[in-house]
Amino acid sequence: MTDTPLDHLGPVDYVVVEFPADASNFTGEMADELVRLVNSGTIRLIDVLILTKNEDGTVDAMELSDIEELGELQALEAQLAELLAEEDVEHLANAMEPGSTAGVLIWENLWAAPFASAARRSGGQLIANGRIPIQAIIASIEADEAAATEGV
Amino acid sequence: MPLRAARVGRVGVIGHPVAKTAVVAKAVTPGPSPVAKTAVVAAAVTPGRGRRRI
Repeated sequence: MTDTPLDHLGPVDYVVVEFPADASNFTGEMADELVRLVNSGTIRLIDVLILTKNEDGTVDAMELSDIEELGELQALEAQLAELLAEEDVEHLANAMEPGSTAGVLIWENLWAAPFASAARRSGGQLIANGRIPIQAIIASIEADEAAATEGV
Repeated sequence: MPLRAARVGRVGVIGHPVAKTAVVAKAVTPGPSPVAKTAVVAAAVTPGRGRRRI
């Protein structure tokens, strides 16, 4: 990890992307897009793990460096920090279905860092954040439509 | 494969078991009305296309 002053650190997010046993279709497209996000300065990749949840519920974890042919990810792998701890693996794997494989990505949102830093210098404090699921937007729109229909 | 030694015995950053979220892909995967649904969502988040005022 680079020595980024804490005040200049952007928000750090994670995702767990699950690939059910019968639905994975790795073409390299994901890696290409990830490399593009890093190279454009949009994000800084902090950590990556590949988790496999066995049918008995046990979890195997692989480091990105354990993959034989990383391709363009090789350059990213060299920059990773080992932020996740062993107990994080257990917590993250809780969301996985038995028999599935998942990629865990941790990244810093470089694009948000200057604004977040400016907000802090202005006295602002982050008191809430989150993500709005697409399903929630759909449900809200459909509820509006239903209400409009009933009102006619 | 085992985790690197540096990951073992440290305090984690996640802090709690993660619950599975709704699978977003299913909401936008081609189905009975994928085009219409996608268009509606896109319209709802388009700048200047206010849906309602609070």
